[in-house]
Amino acid sequence: MAAPPGLPPPEELLKRADEMLRELEKGPWPSHVSELRKTRYPLHVYGVGLVARKSPWGPGTVRVKYVNTGVLSRWARDWVPNGGEETHFRVFHTPGKFWKTDFIRQIAKISKELGVGLIEIVGQTGAFVINLTKDKAEEMVDALREIGTDVGGSGDAIRALNACVGPALCEFALFDTLRWYAEFYKDKRINDAIATPGFPYKFKIKISGCPMDCARANRADVGFIGVWEGAPEVDQELLRKKIEAGEVDPKELAARCPSGAISWDGKELRIDGEKCKKSMECIRRAFPAIKPGKKIKIAVVVGGGVKGRFGPKLGNFIGYLGPNDTQKAIDLVFKAIEPWNNEAMPKCRLGDYIMIAGIENFLKKADIKLEGMPEMAKTGDEVPYAVLSKEEREEYLNLVKELKGRA
Amino acid sequence: MTSDPKAARLQKVFPVDLDKFLPDIIKRNYGKWVDRKFHGAGIIEHISETGERVFTVKVAMPPNARLSADTLEKFADIADRLGIGALRATMAGNLEFLTDSLEKALKIKEEVESMGFPVGGWGPAMWGINSCTAFLTCTTSVVDSPSITKALGDVLKPYFTGEEKLPAKLRIYVSGCPAMCAGGTAIDIAIVGQWGAPPIIREEALSYCLPPPKALEKIAESQVFLVQICPTGALSLRREGGRVKLTLIPEKCINCARCKENCDAFDYDPENVGVAILVGGKMSNTGRGPRLGRVLIPWLPAIPPRYEEIVAVVKRVIDVWREHAQPGERLAEFIDRIGWQRFVGLVGLEKVHAVYQRIPDHVRTFMYFRQRYEAWRRLREGI
Ligand code: SF4
Ligand code: SF4
Ligand code: SF4
Repeated sequence: MAAPPGLPPPEELLKRADEMLRELEKGPWPSHVSELRKTRYPLHVYGVGLVARKSPWGPGTVRVKYVNTGVLSRWARDWVPNGGEETHFRVFHTPGKFWKTDFIRQIAKISKELGVGLIEIVGQTGAFVINLTKDKAEEMVDALREIGTDVGGSGDAIRALNACVGPALCEFALFDTLRWYAEFYKDKRINDAIATPGFPYKFKIKISGCPMDCARANRADVGFIGVWEGAPEVDQELLRKKIEAGEVDPKELAARCPSGAISWDGKELRIDGEKCKKSMECIRRAFPAIKPGKKIKIAVVVGGGVKGRFGPKLGNFIGYLGPNDTQKAIDLVFKAIEPWNNEAMPKCRLGDYIMIAGIENFLKKADIKLEGMPEMAKTGDEVPYAVLSKEEREEYLNLVKELKGRA
Repeated sequence: MTSDPKAARLQKVFPVDLDKFLPDIIKRNYGKWVDRKFHGAGIIEHISETGERVFTVKVAMPPNARLSADTLEKFADIADRLGIGALRATMAGNLEFLTDSLEKALKIKEEVESMGFPVGGWGPAMWGINSCTAFLTCTTSVVDSPSITKALGDVLKPYFTGEEKLPAKLRIYVSGCPAMCAGGTAIDIAIVGQWGAPPIIREEALSYCLPPPKALEKIAESQVFLVQICPTGALSLRREGGRVKLTLIPEKCINCARCKENCDAFDYDPENVGVAILVGGKMSNTGRGPRLGRVLIPWLPAIPPRYEEIVAVVKRVIDVWREHAQPGERLAEFIDRIGWQRFVGLVGLEKVHAVYQRIPDHVRTFMYFRQRYEAWRRLREGI
């Protein structure tokens, strides 16, 4: 990018950059600038960007042998005095993002010795990020592999997986999200699609243990979300105790249920399982007197995402798997990838492709059939004309034939 | 095939060994958690059926979750001394300290606060602000989200620590450009960097992103990468003075920034740049379910280092919500209940932003496809 107009001469620019940085160290919220000062990150580049009101970075390259994703590099633009370089690795997070202190010390050591002493503890892919200098890239990859993690997940590949903390530290977890996380990573096809880019665009897989969706599965290309069948389970006695203790207000529970499934007759709380939309509202207010039901299912959503041809999207619900169906889930991911990978234009996310192809076509092409799959779109089309195939028209003929027969 | 030992790197080392990476107390109580209790802002207790307890202390991190290795090591020392020897990072960009008694949790709180890291979140509070990297590393950012996050955090901290109450959970995402890497718009308040005006093409850099001139003459327009990635057809090939050139039709451009993400030749003037403010998104299935945020204000200037314009609008939205929402009502549900028009009025805006209604050319492509997505079931309708 070109230098912004009216940029002051280099010395003045650096001086103003420094003032800007100092200002960002004031105030009660933790300051990224204060942290960056403790590292070898080229802080003046950032400061110059702020004064110029333009990103000071341009694309750079770094080659790390047989590491095709997760390595990113930048050069400071030519209008940044004294220049600078920025290289970073995306590194796979541990299950549940637990960092035992021995692991933290290993990461810190690698960061100090081979990097610049700077870490982004979690990014939105769910990976963490370590800054480094290019000359240490080969060494750092090996050091990270040595301590049990690795570099990867950028470009048009499967990105770092994301799973919520699940049964490791959450009462609401309906299935073993971390085991799913592990099983997915162990699959050879997943490994290869992470290691080598080759899809039309990025592809994200996210696994949430309950409808609170802490892993953000609703915005994944393929997301898995734990739900249950029917009504939440009510322990009437415990609930009574909570009501007596003033911890729970049953009228509020009924009022806050978005599906009108809860009724309270002054003595007993009843929930209509047909109506319940798994909002978790009653559960989080009265836990553990009200808990999710026992029959667990995994809702599958496809085609969500933030970045894409047609903007941000939430996934489409396409049916259920069982809590132990990890292999089926992995197969499903690759079935979904196939038509998208074959047909989508470059830089189309799965959701963009689904918009263009139509979800029913997509599901047919991908050969995906799940229990509980909705058979019809939410509403009919508003446009009363279309090109229909002969077969389709025949279907409607058959329908009226049947109707006529009934009359 | 190759004999290079480095080819082994194609098989990734994934950190999937639960036995190795999970702390012992977590392993002992895996899947056995039966109850939870809150102990003021930022401390939660998980109770296992084995009788064991884990207390978690939620600590705000600097914008973009950037820590020096030095600070991280200091945190590890605290975790060893007062905790169970483990920390946990969250998607909200917070760091959680784990320990086994309330007393130790309170000590951890004291120590990290004295280091300048506030403890808070959970319940009706601000749970954190997510920021993308922007000017720290990103080549396509147009505003610097970490410094916007810092300016917001300085003002909103009392909502995080619980000194000031909110009706319900609040989270904020700040992204430096329309790629929205801070997490998108399915959140209570999203701030997204905007170009403001169609990109300026730097002809001298364009050749890196296009087939060579001779080839360009022969390739079908629909096969040219830059033409393909533009969702509205604003980028097209035109014949100019006997040569085929890539041309941008400004009337068709929606400023989605996809061209910029894929080619460094697309440039902008900082004077036009700003942020959009979106409200009422969320991911969880609580209330009326997951939904994307909607544009409240399509453009505001982003002026470092204090970003007073952005801070003022965010504060106004929070004030309106605090004043008019029912207890427990998240911003999305509050807006749903009172209606968008009334909400916009309360904030002090006179008109609803709906640019696509006014510019028919966009409707033809981008919006047409966006609307198609409305026809199918999302999680809430499906399950
Ligand atoms: S989970 Fe939600 S929808 Fe279901 S009964 Fe409880 S409050 Fe109602
Ligand atoms: S949202 Fe934009 S500015 Fe932020 S990291 Fe992503 S691409 Fe860069
Ligand atoms: S910003 Fe988007 S709409 Fe505008 S020219 Fe670029 S790709 Fe096309």
